[in-house]
Amino acid sequence: MKQSIDLLRPLLINLPKAQAYLDPGSGSFILQLLLAALVGSLFLVKSYWRKLSVFLRRLLRREQDRREE
Amino acid sequence: MKPANLSQPLQASFRDPSGQLFTRVGVLYRQVNQVYRPHFEHLIESGLYQTLVDKGWLIPHEEVNVPPLQPETAWKVIRPETIPFISYPYEWCFGQYKDAALLTLNIQMVALEHGMWLKDSSAYNIQFHEGRAVLIDSLSFEIYPEGQPWVAYRQFCQHFLAPLSLMAHCDVRLGQLMRTYLDGIPLDLASRLLPWRTRFSLPLLLHLHLHAASQRRYAAQPPVIKRCMDKVALLGLIDTLEAGIRRLTWSPFTTDWSQYYQESNYTAAALEHKQALVAEFLDVIRPATVWDLGANTGRFSRLASQRGLLTVAFDQDYGAVEQNYRQCKQEGETHLLPLVLDLTNPSPPLGWAHQERLSWMQRGPVDAVLALALIHHLAIANNLPLAYLAEFFHALGRWLVIEFVPKSDSQVQRLLSFRADIFPNYTRQGFESAFGVCYRIHRSEAIRDSQRVLYLMEAR
Repeated sequence: MKQSIDLLRPLLINLPKAQAYLDPGSGSFILQLLLAALVGSLFLVKSYWRKLSVFLRRLLRREQDRREE
Repeated sequence: MKPANLSQPLQASFRDPSGQLFTRVGVLYRQVNQVYRPHFEHLIESGLYQTLVDKGWLIPHEEVNVPPLQPETAWKVIRPETIPFISYPYEWCFGQYKDAALLTLNIQMVALEHGMWLKDSSAYNIQFHEGRAVLIDSLSFEIYPEGQPWVAYRQFCQHFLAPLSLMAHCDVRLGQLMRTYLDGIPLDLASRLLPWRTRFSLPLLLHLHLHAASQRRYAAQPPVIKRCMDKVALLGLIDTLEAGIRRLTWSPFTTDWSQYYQESNYTAAALEHKQALVAEFLDVIRPATVWDLGANTGRFSRLASQRGLLTVAFDQDYGAVEQNYRQCKQEGETHLLPLVLDLTNPSPPLGWAHQERLSWMQRGPVDAVLALALIHHLAIANNLPLAYLAEFFHALGRWLVIEFVPKSDSQVQRLLSFRADIFPNYTRQGFESAFGVCYRIHRSEAIRDSQRVLYLMEAR
C-alpha cells in the first residue's frame, strides 16, 4: 500500500494545491490514467481522419474545378 | 458605534479559495484572492478571457475599486455582469441541461488551447443569460498542469453526464435527482438505474459504468500506476465526453401539456381575446420583470418578453418547457427564460445551512405575475384554499394578472369528473372575496367565447 502511494506521489505532488480545491476522487483519477492510452489514440485517429477527409475533399474539389474549366 | 458592514458574503461560493462572491449595497462583486493571481493574469494575458467573452461563453466583468470582503487575502475585486434570474440544474429542461454540458466541454477545449483548464465543472457555474448558456465563474480557470488527469472529471460526470443520461435513457423527470444530490448524481446510482444497453455506448461505458466501478474498486486502495496523462489523452477524454453528451437526446412530443393548446377547449376567438387582454394589462402596468406561472409552451409569456420585459416562464411539464426553450433558441429570444417548476412543491433552499442554493421564492419578488388557466389546477386538483393562493401570489409580486376558471368550464368539469366536489367556495364571488383581502381588483374582463374571467389586481 505504502509503495503504491509512493509511486503515485509524483502525480499528486504536482497538483497546484491552492487552486485544486476539488477532491478529484481516487477512482476517477486512476480511471483517467488507465483510459489515457485508449482515449488518446482514439482522438489521434479521429483527428487524422478529419484532416485526411478535408484533404481528400479539397483534392476532389480541385479536380472538379479543373474539369469544369 | 461600529459602522454596519456594507459587504455581505454570498454563501454559494465558500468552497473555492481562489475568491469569494459578495454583495455590497445590492450589487454583486467577486473578490479575487492573492493565491489566484497567476491564474487570473494568465486568463487575461493569454487572450482566453476575451476569446470566451467574444463568443458569449463567459460572463464579462470589470475591475472595480471597491473594498474587498476579506482584505487580508484579497488581490482585486471584479464586478461581473448581472444575471437577472439565477436558475438551477433541477429547473432546467433536457435541452438546457445538454447545452450547459456542451458549453462546459467547449470552454475546456478552448481553455486548453490557451494553456489553461477548468479546475471545476459544476453545473451551478452555468446560467442562462439573454437566451444562452454562459459560464458565470471567472475563477474556474487554472494554468494547465501538464501530465495531470482532469481534476474536475468526476464533478463533470456527476453534474452533467449522469443526470443527462438518466433523463435521456430512463425518464426525463430524473433530472429532479439533482435536487437531492447537490454535488451531482452518484455514479454508482446512475450506473444501477441506467438500462443495460447503455453499456454498448462507448462514452457511457467508460465515463459512467467503468467510472462507477473504478470509484468502487479504488476508493480505499489506489493501485500502482507509473503513467501520466498527456495533453492528447486529455483532449481524447474531453472528446469522448462530448460525443457521449451529443448522442443523448430526448423528444418532448409525448408529454401531457406540450399539446395543450392543440387539444384545449379554447376557441380561436377566446384565445385571441385573452391575448389582447393580457397585452393590454401589461401595457397598463409596464412591469420590468414578469413571472408566468403554469406558462406551458410560453404563448402568453411571449406577450411580456416581446415587449422587452424580462420574463421567466415556469411550468412543471418537461415537454412544454423543452418546446418553449427550443423556440427561444430558434428565434434568438433574449428576454424569455423557460424553467421547470412544480408550484405545489417549488425549489427549496438547499445545501449547507440551507444557504447555498436559494429557494424559488427567495429569488423574487417580481413586478408582475401571470397566472393564466392555472387556478383550477391549484384550487381543485391540489385542494389549495383560495385564501392560501391569494397569500402565495401576494408574496411573489405587486401586480397579478389572473384568470378565473369557473366550475362550469369543461376543464374544471374534467378535474371534478372522478371526485367529490368539496369546493363550495370555488365561485367567482368566493374568488373575488378571497383575493380582495390582499389585492385591489383594478379590472375584471370576461373572456369572449368562454366562461372565464381575466383579472388585473394590485397588491394592497
